[in-house]
Amino acid sequence: MNGAKITAVKDGGSGASTLVGSPVMNKQVRGKSSSAVSRFFQKYNILPSILFFVFWELFSRVNETAKFFNPNFLPAPTVLLQEGWELAKTGIITDSLISSTIRIALGFVIGSAFAVGLGVIMSKFKTVERWFSPILNLVGPIPTLALLPLFIIWFGIGEFPKVLLIAWTTFIPVLVYTLDGFKSVPSTLIRSALSLGATERQIFTRVMLPSAIPNFLVGAQVSLGLSFSALIVSEMMGAKSGLGYIIVDARNYFKISNMFIAIILIGLEYSLFSYLLKLVEKRVMVWRKGGLRDAIEK
Amino acid sequence: MKLVVNQVGKSFGARTILKNVDLTVNSHEFICILGHSGCGKSTLLNMIAGYLLPDDGSITVDGDEIKRPSKSRGMVFQDHALFPWMTIKDNIAFGPEVQKVPKAQAKETAMEFLKLVGLEPYASHYPGELSGGMKQRVGIARALASKPDILLMDEPFGALDVLTRETMRVELQKICSQLKPTILFVTHSISEAVYLADRVVVMKHGEIAEIFEVGIKHPRSSHSAGFGEMMSRIERVLMDEEHLELAQAKVGS
Repeated sequence: MNGAKITAVKDGGSGASTLVGSPVMNKQVRGKSSSAVSRFFQKYNILPSILFFVFWELFSRVNETAKFFNPNFLPAPTVLLQEGWELAKTGIITDSLISSTIRIALGFVIGSAFAVGLGVIMSKFKTVERWFSPILNLVGPIPTLALLPLFIIWFGIGEFPKVLLIAWTTFIPVLVYTLDGFKSVPSTLIRSALSLGATERQIFTRVMLPSAIPNFLVGAQVSLGLSFSALIVSEMMGAKSGLGYIIVDARNYFKISNMFIAIILIGLEYSLFSYLLKLVEKRVMVWRKGGLRDAIEK
Repeated sequence: MKLVVNQVGKSFGARTILKNVDLTVNSHEFICILGHSGCGKSTLLNMIAGYLLPDDGSITVDGDEIKRPSKSRGMVFQDHALFPWMTIKDNIAFGPEVQKVPKAQAKETAMEFLKLVGLEPYASHYPGELSGGMKQRVGIARALASKPDILLMDEPFGALDVLTRETMRVELQKICSQLKPTILFVTHSISEAVYLADRVVVMKHGEIAEIFEVGIKHPRSSHSAGFGEMMSRIERVLMDEEHLELAQAKVGS
């Protein structure tokens, strides 16, 4: 959910920058270098993030002397870079990144695969849906984090309960969205496929599946944020590596800079995954038009 | 090919949609079913397509009863029903492909029918990028590419603007003179029916009110001899009851 909000803000930002950017570009036809800069920022909307870190740096530096609060509570980004480099040398960062990535990727793929599989079966067989949907309605809304201690007791503190937790968090939203996608295939599409001689199987693979893909991707976006929080929390309880582990470890030794490093890495990793998902979406949905950008020309 | 609708009735719940409908369609005939909205004309077409089954009576093609949709009965929908994730070419190739025609040959057939409707330059476009009239032309090409015995058209031009509608019916007429298909065409436009059809079936309240033979030579226009007369004859059948009802209402008040 957080992810969706972040991207929404990002999109809004780039829209605003085009508005502000274009008159600037018209004016600066003479100054080639500055127009190149503005074009760069128009293409890559990173100016707000840069400003964010610059402001943070300035504030932390001022705080070191002015002491609005304990300077240790908010280290400057440059300090974090230094400390991060030190930490990276011990190898714990790469280890943690690798194990976290494997956990989330595995959990995400397994969860989505099961969700799509069950979605297919539920949409095909009415009885299965009649039996499963009340149970899913019962279990689905339970925050998965509430299940974590139970999972640890049942399955120990190895990789299995962590991946299972992430898979479960992915499973519910993806299933709900995918099922909705299967159900909302326009009946005229199915009818026309039937009249063109498609068998039931062909209708499924060539009409139902592609037409449910947009819904599946929405479900994946939604569940990505949830499964990231599942990842971090599961790493905070009984783990020897992972980004969540770094945070807990840092708390135990009061290494606030390490906490910040882990938090930033989590943000970066989430952005990476979300970006990959966006790439997939772009490739799969070239045919889709609409939204504000297509509504009016700016 | 001979399609026979025999004493067909259909009701949804307590509402009777069709009763005692008899109709025979021969090869290469162009038949328009004309009627007000809600008169059951689309229901009849959906039953001939095999999406719905009749409650009473039977619908047969060459003696075989229609039990399910089939590629021998192509359908063109008012909302075109193109697959939005496929290019225009893939949309048209869909029929041949699901019927196990080799891919290359299916694409070739698709191009052939794209040419027929004059949309070759748009082969790699997606339906969302086309205008309403173009989409409907693709819909017709897609239905024809499966080489159906009979083409069913459910108000195909109903969602188009008046000008596009005119051009579309000229084009449909051209295609008909080229391919001589059998067409069952549902519409609520009298002029469209008279322009296109060999026979016009007028439906009212779930029954066939009257069948008109349109003996005017193709290509027709509204100035063709007998065109206006045919239109007013059909209009009289279609409207008379309403006039009566209106008159009665006036008397009552």
